Amino acid sequence: MHHDGALPAVTAAVLEGGHAAQVELLDRLRAGDRTAFAELVDAWSPMLLRVARLHVSTHASAEEVVQETWLAVIRQLDRFEGRSSLRTWVFRILENQARTRGVREARTVPWSFGSGADGHEHAGATVDRARFRGPEDRWPGGWTPEGRPTAWEPAPEDAAMAAEVRRELRAALDELPERQRTVVELRDVYGLSSDETCERLGLSPGNQRILLHRGRARLRARLEHVYRGTTGEGARRG
Amino acid sequence: MADLPAPRSADDDVLEIACREFVELVTEHMEGTLPKALENAIAAHLELCDPCVVYLEQMRRTAAALETLPTPTLPAAARDRVLEMFTSLHGGTDPAAPR
Repeated sequence: MHHDGALPAVTAAVLEGGHAAQVELLDRLRAGDRTAFAELVDAWSPMLLRVARLHVSTHASAEEVVQETWLAVIRQLDRFEGRSSLRTWVFRILENQARTRGVREARTVPWSFGSGADGHEHAGATVDRARFRGPEDRWPGGWTPEGRPTAWEPAPEDAAMAAEVRRELRAALDELPERQRTVVELRDVYGLSSDETCERLGLSPGNQRILLHRGRARLRARLEHVYRGTTGEGARRG
Repeated sequence: MADLPAPRSADDDVLEIACREFVELVTEHMEGTLPKALENAIAAHLELCDPCVVYLEQMRRTAAALETLPTPTLPAAARDRVLEMFTSLHGGTDPAAPR
């Protein structure tokens, strides 16, 4: 086997079942390629911990679930038929482990996540209507001069801003309604795809997008507030 | 999407959107889930509207900044235990594998 041309394990592991690169990765893992396995453990453990927390009530329990999941993956690796992506298979094992434990802990599973919307989470505009021109205006629905967003300088990823941006985002995330927070975390913080997020949470694609939209919009507004504060750009407040 | 202002059709029947509508479509635009007609309307809007370009950019940067948040992982002892188990069950190391 030559590894020079091989995809990184984390890349091959999200490919659909039957893909040549997945077959190659499975061969490597079954042959004991510890580097490839460690790559998956290191890349996915944070995400698996977060998903486990949907089912169990403490971080310590989630750690045990994730450890048990990896051990089950190791034990069942030879039996995995490769019909789904490796990642999908690992998620299924995790959820089986987590549910078993969650039942023991009497954690009611994700707040009936899929059922119905709490109306207030879905209602209303995500940007203050006062920032837009009225229906009688020449450009109805356009930004007013005071309402329009202005570019963020320096950028959030700039070293001068990064620490404060992370602090504000963490705080703002924790203040989001739980369903919005969970979707934004799974998608943006932990890197699940929209399909994966829908499946983990039992959400329809449309509801998932609404929750993502409302959550991200609030976080954007929080960062905007930070920038206005730092630049002294004016007292208007969305 | 819930509670969207209905995009209006202009006289020539080409879909036009206002800024107030764009900000509620921005996530679906980023997700690539909008119908073609709305995507066309958004492209036309962004050509002419710098503040909406800024808004879109800020949504992207918000999502990108979220990726940089620190996340807890397995404790080192648990990670070691898992990797030891891997090696003991799946044989020694593959000689071709970079170690």
